[in-house]
Amino acid sequence: MTLDSFGRVQASERLPILFPITAPHGRNSADKNNEIELSPTMRADLLDLDAWGEILTTYGKTMKMAVALTDSDGHVLGKCHNPQPVWTMVHAAARDWTGCPFCISSSSPCTAVTESLRVGGVVRVRDLAGLTHVAVPLFVGKQHLGAIIAGQVFDQYPDPLPLRRVAKEFGISAQDLWDIARMQRPVTSAIQQASADLLYALGQAFVQQRYGAILEASLADTNGSFRLLVDGVRDHALFTIDPSGRVTSWNVGAERMFGYTDGDIVGENFSCMFSPEDIQNRVPQKQLNKALQTGRIEDEGWRIRANQIQFWADVNITVLWEERGTVRGFAVIVQDVTERKKIVIVLEEARQERARIQEKLLSHVSHELRTPLTAIYLFITNVLDGLLGDLNPEQHEHLTLALENVQQLKSMVGDLLDITRVQAHKLTVVPQRVSLAKLTADVLSTCRTNAALKNIGLLSEIAPDVPVVWADPVRLRQVLTNLIDNGIKFTPEHGVVTVRCKVYAEEKGFVCISVSDTGCGIGPENCEIVFERLAQVSSNSRASRSGLGLGLFISRDLVLRQGGRIWLESQLGRGSTFYLTVPVFSLAKLCDHIFTPPNLESGSVTLIVVDVDSIEEAVQAELVPEIRNVLERCIHPGQDTLLPAMSDAKSSESFFIVACADAKGYAVIAQRIARELQAFDNASRLNPVISSTTLPLAPGQSREAQTLEILASIERLIRDHLVGKKGDSDG
Amino acid sequence: MAERQILIIDDDRHLLLGLAARLRGSGYRVICATDAASGITLARKETPDLIILDLGLPRDEGFDVLEQMRGLREISAIPVIVLTARDPVTNDKLALEAGAVAFFQKPPDNGEFLSAIRHTLGEPTGLSTFLRT
Repeated sequence: MTLDSFGRVQASERLPILFPITAPHGRNSADKNNEIELSPTMRADLLDLDAWGEILTTYGKTMKMAVALTDSDGHVLGKCHNPQPVWTMVHAAARDWTGCPFCISSSSPCTAVTESLRVGGVVRVRDLAGLTHVAVPLFVGKQHLGAIIAGQVFDQYPDPLPLRRVAKEFGISAQDLWDIARMQRPVTSAIQQASADLLYALGQAFVQQRYGAILEASLADTNGSFRLLVDGVRDHALFTIDPSGRVTSWNVGAERMFGYTDGDIVGENFSCMFSPEDIQNRVPQKQLNKALQTGRIEDEGWRIRANQIQFWADVNITVLWEERGTVRGFAVIVQDVTERKKIVIVLEEARQERARIQEKLLSHVSHELRTPLTAIYLFITNVLDGLLGDLNPEQHEHLTLALENVQQLKSMVGDLLDITRVQAHKLTVVPQRVSLAKLTADVLSTCRTNAALKNIGLLSEIAPDVPVVWADPVRLRQVLTNLIDNGIKFTPEHGVVTVRCKVYAEEKGFVCISVSDTGCGIGPENCEIVFERLAQVSSNSRASRSGLGLGLFISRDLVLRQGGRIWLESQLGRGSTFYLTVPVFSLAKLCDHIFTPPNLESGSVTLIVVDVDSIEEAVQAELVPEIRNVLERCIHPGQDTLLPAMSDAKSSESFFIVACADAKGYAVIAQRIARELQAFDNASRLNPVISSTTLPLAPGQSREAQTLEILASIERLIRDHLVGKKGDSDG
Repeated sequence: MAERQILIIDDDRHLLLGLAARLRGSGYRVICATDAASGITLARKETPDLIILDLGLPRDEGFDVLEQMRGLREISAIPVIVLTARDPVTNDKLALEAGAVAFFQKPPDNGEFLSAIRHTLGEPTGLSTFLRT
């Protein structure tokens, strides 16, 4: 610390901050991120004179010095405690006293306070009369609060010269001043220094304490408001739990909902609100863990009240984090939504009942319609086929048209049934290997009459590399017919409808079929709607024998069931193109449901091959469906699989049955097949090759490995079987 | 070969009329019954070569009739083709398991139906007629 005379201040050493001011909850307010701006109210509170008064008075009396509290600009707050005689005499005589209140100076009072705040440490000053005083800064964090000035004492035996000057300056008797001065006991520098240090520490501690108290009060206030809020919520349970699940706070709403009072539940684990099964399955802990991962979870489930009654709850659990990143606990909000759930359940049951009734109705209607439809069909066809005599051309034409309408009715009735199956998710597809070239050719030929009526051309473009697909031929036919009919319907006279098949570039393992027309198109915004049930986008076409408008809805379901997708791209005035994808045939996919772990574990997988290749093609064509029927009857549905032509050779249809049976079962099946096949006329020409491959799981072999092995042996059997066949004729 | 005889059991008289006309036009003799009891009696008496059976007969559940017929020695060997308005899904398997040789849903396509009949009776069916798809 350096001294100075004549009021000039020199920087003193910066005293270390001994007690950094900390706010409650361990936050260091010196940290600028957390510093609270001192409001004028807070300042006033921190510098409350009544509170300081006692400290200052005691200090002054003990140290035998004058002491005063000032603001950051050096203005005394309140009064000067224990003023010293010399100062008092001069002060009384002075007319105007500006600047530092303790300085006896004529023109330039010290700026000790400001300086002490600036350097953050004690500053000591000697004034004109030789008296010394110190300024001790008061801070809150980095914010200047004020200062304490203490002194008005000599630090050595007074020097008469400066005193005489002062007396003259202020118009006081020099002798009187000297007498007073001599009587003042000096306080040594050392003591003054020590006392200043003490004052600094005292000041800081006191400010700290007051600051803490202010924050506590404000927090209590906030807490109080929060508490009011939480307690005011009566319909939601709001409570907090510690990290292990013990309840730490409980609101009125929670008490109303669960029936536990504050006293009952605080300290208990919140798992008591869960059902016994949930507790057994560790659901409460799982929920807390999940909340920790994402910060917050929402859940619906059963909860139990104190009286053991269950209710359906909507629960929100939010994690409460500490400053340091540890978990303080969780905040839980629970809503009783039992009523809502009851409504949901009832609505769902009503919906299902409605769906059931609707299905029964449609099923019944479709069933009933078939009887008169059959009669009409029989009578018309009987006459049309000449069974009741010849017809003139006009009669023929009329009846032909009548028959067309019957066919339409028939397909509408079929649609009705399909629609209920779609809704009940009962539409079935029975996939098999299908050659698209053949199927599209067939479909186009059936649509030709329809197209011819409007002079619309039907074209097909099948890419040469299109592989065999895995689809239900009847259903695929149904879908394609539907799409082509749509194309024809929406295309004006002399337009063109084109069917294309090619490998689908965007997705491996699929073939893309498209049906394009040169018609009026529909807006892109309608491209989704057309697949909705009963959505008939209006058309300008005359020939709108539209049926029930269910075609696309059913088609979409069928395509999806086969594992593909269907969509429409269209533009008004530019025509439309329907796209659908169909999965490519793959042996692995096919055998999936056979090579299941239980099947493989239960024993061997038996492979039976029936060869029809050795007979002439003409007879083959007739026999093939028959053999299929026989084999279908011999194998056990659900367990065995009928695999039609495994090879790419178009002409042959060698049947393989992959059967899950043990050795005994295999013998039985083989016998049955052989016997059934003998019933055929041309069966004697058949050469059934009944082979089997038995592959029990080898020790240490995985199921996946065994599956691959079995598939490989099937491939081998196929290869062996078909090796040496004569070249393909066009199938 | 002597003309084959077909027995149709169906309670719908119009169907009997229409179907009988068609079958006769294809060269078969046709007899009819409108309920199970008289159908079975007729079958025992005439031993037709084929029975076409409706499942929705009055008073009798169609599958029961089938089983009944299977149980009677004199007529158990006569092949039965089921012709019904019912949904083929699950019903066709049930019919076949109960002993029918084929299942058709009304109205059946004439060509397919006749082919099935011909085939059941062991007659040559011809190439294209049986080739469904």
